[in-house]
Amino acid sequence: MTMVALEGLRPWLLQRLTALYMVGYTLYSVIYWTVVNTLSYSNWQRWLADEINMVLLGLFYLSLLIHAWVGIRDVLLDYIKPLLLRLILLFLVAGSLMGAAIWMMKILLSVNT
Amino acid sequence: MASSGRPIYLNLFKIKLPVTGIISIFHRVTGVLLFLFIPISLYYLQLSLQGERQFEQITYLMVEPLSRFIILLFIWSFIHHLFTGIRFLLIDIDLFLEKKSARSSAWVVVVIELITMAIIIKGLFL
Repeated sequence: MTMVALEGLRPWLLQRLTALYMVGYTLYSVIYWTVVNTLSYSNWQRWLADEINMVLLGLFYLSLLIHAWVGIRDVLLDYIKPLLLRLILLFLVAGSLMGAAIWMMKILLSVNT
Repeated sequence: MASSGRPIYLNLFKIKLPVTGIISIFHRVTGVLLFLFIPISLYYLQLSLQGERQFEQITYLMVEPLSRFIILLFIWSFIHHLFTGIRFLLIDIDLFLEKKSARSSAWVVVVIELITMAIIIKGLFL
């Protein structure tokens, strides 16, 4: 395999791995909140106060942000042909996703344990 | 492109996409929508953890027609992206490669999607 081929493989693989994690997490949380527990403020708060669930939700958002980056990047590369506009949009998307990551961490860390 | 001699015909209203193409383009459309929903989801995640009253406040979103529509759009985007995505993952491991199984698996996705939406709508609104 040439280097050029390998370059495309990494985002491709990231897209699949993050997708698999999100499918698993969706299954876990849907089953938990429909079969195991009922949704209320105190149950929800207590659930996220558990470090494992906090980390799992954090990983879900991290996967989501990586997945969104690869996906939106593909969309922009397909439809936005002028180079400068493409770069500006990629920059804005990357910046807002990193901002979302910081915001997400702040939210998860502020949960009272 | 033109020099290759292939016809270019991009009148979107005259291109008839098979079901596989339709769910594929909507995988992309819903992906972009879900990207736009990221900050909204973080806002409501934050609100849901601020207190009992704020948590209850989120359930009011089910009452107003506009926010109801937006929630349904979000849920449909998620469901469609999820199920078509799972189908694409199965295609990655070389399933549904023939035209017939590609089409039938696409229809299976549509049916599962409709059933899931029906269950969710029933649970949320009825």
